[in-house]
Amino acid sequence: MLKCDALDPLVTPFIDGELPVADRRAVEDHLFACAPCHSRIAAEQAVRDLIRAQRAALCTRPAPDALHARCAELTRRPASDEAGRPHVAPSHLAPSYRAGARWPTRLAPYALAASLVLGVGGAFLYQATDRSARLLAAELTADHLKCFAMNSALGTHQAPAAVERSMASTFDWRMHLPDDPASAGLELVGARPCLYAEGKIAHIMYRHDGHPVSLFMLPKTARAEELIEVLGHEASIWCVNNRTFVLVSREPRRVVQRMASFVQASMR
Amino acid sequence: MKPRQGLGQVSPAFEAEALASLDTLYRAALRLTRVPADAEDLVQETFLKAFRSADRFEPGTNLRAWLFTILHNTARNRVRDRARDTVAIDSEIVDRAADAPPPAGARAGAAETPETLLLRETLAPELQAAIDALPDAFRQAIWLRDVEEFSYAEIAQMLSIPIGTVMSRISRGRHLLFERLKDLRPANA
Repeated sequence: MLKCDALDPLVTPFIDGELPVADRRAVEDHLFACAPCHSRIAAEQAVRDLIRAQRAALCTRPAPDALHARCAELTRRPASDEAGRPHVAPSHLAPSYRAGARWPTRLAPYALAASLVLGVGGAFLYQATDRSARLLAAELTADHLKCFAMNSALGTHQAPAAVERSMASTFDWRMHLPDDPASAGLELVGARPCLYAEGKIAHIMYRHDGHPVSLFMLPKTARAEELIEVLGHEASIWCVNNRTFVLVSREPRRVVQRMASFVQASMR
Repeated sequence: MKPRQGLGQVSPAFEAEALASLDTLYRAALRLTRVPADAEDLVQETFLKAFRSADRFEPGTNLRAWLFTILHNTARNRVRDRARDTVAIDSEIVDRAADAPPPAGARAGAAETPETLLLRETLAPELQAAIDALPDAFRQAIWLRDVEEFSYAEIAQMLSIPIGTVMSRISRGRHLLFERLKDLRPANA
């Protein structure tokens, strides 16, 4: 039987569920017999559970918009400036960027794609992106990165029925997810209304070989079918019944094409 | 001025992915500095360093963890530069505190159900205030683990301390929080 002081190094991983089975049993045996240690662990466990339950509420404060803009600008200041590089707008994005020329010229498109979703959100999405599929793809790719980065979502696994229910209630979209995603190498992670577009866009997340794949659905939007390379990702766009679908992933082009065709063919 | 190398090498994908962590870095910076203006400076310096050394980031590893490591290193250097003892972490004191036995209150409460006590009534602002009131070392460990959900190894790297110390700081921090939150409840006042 473990002694109380031998328990110390095991307490945190025990509470976090990271102990190997044998150690876990040894701790449980000790706790069964030792009220003070049981009480200590219960207290720490309660705090851990509380913080995790309140996690979303602890994470509501975003960074100021000005800080987003300053950081996004860091890689594209003129050579004479602190960060040292002349501003060169990536040529493939420049035309659509100029088309939406109300944006401050010092912000290059990539910065927009990465940060404006927080600052300007839905307004931008429904104005400028009407004009450019590429900009839409860039925004959704930034959302894709953000959603996965900020939600540690890759570790979760939501049931298909739960996703379908949430799509029906949130977007009035009565859909049926592909029955056998594994046949296309896909595994369902879950769904969420994408906060960065003011909740107007549905975001269903998958894994492919452990890598994030996002499927966005934009209601009441018609788009031509396209496959666009943007921000190091591939975005496949298609439209069914006045709903536009965009599948975003960093996988190679042909893999993305295959995943998109699979989803297109098997989602009802 | 000689133009700096490195920033030109930042790929758009790297940049976008890094910037996607900005809000979460800002919140961690706020927990470190407790002053919004200082937190903003810290985040901006973190991104500048990250973009300058983007070529040293190993693709496929956790970019968010890498950014948090830069954030904490930068914060530590700033504390050192300014020699501000009030914010500096005295590791020795912290670790001695971590080794001390838990306060008597923990043992006295065998009949309580701490989960019920805490979860039923604690509000997020109370919890936030209690976390902010923790000593720096415990606050950082708790935040990185329970809010940002980093692994012990990642936190050890960020804070430049051994993994065992990470775990004991988390344990001690949770314990201190429990004591403080429990004291807030009228039934226990």
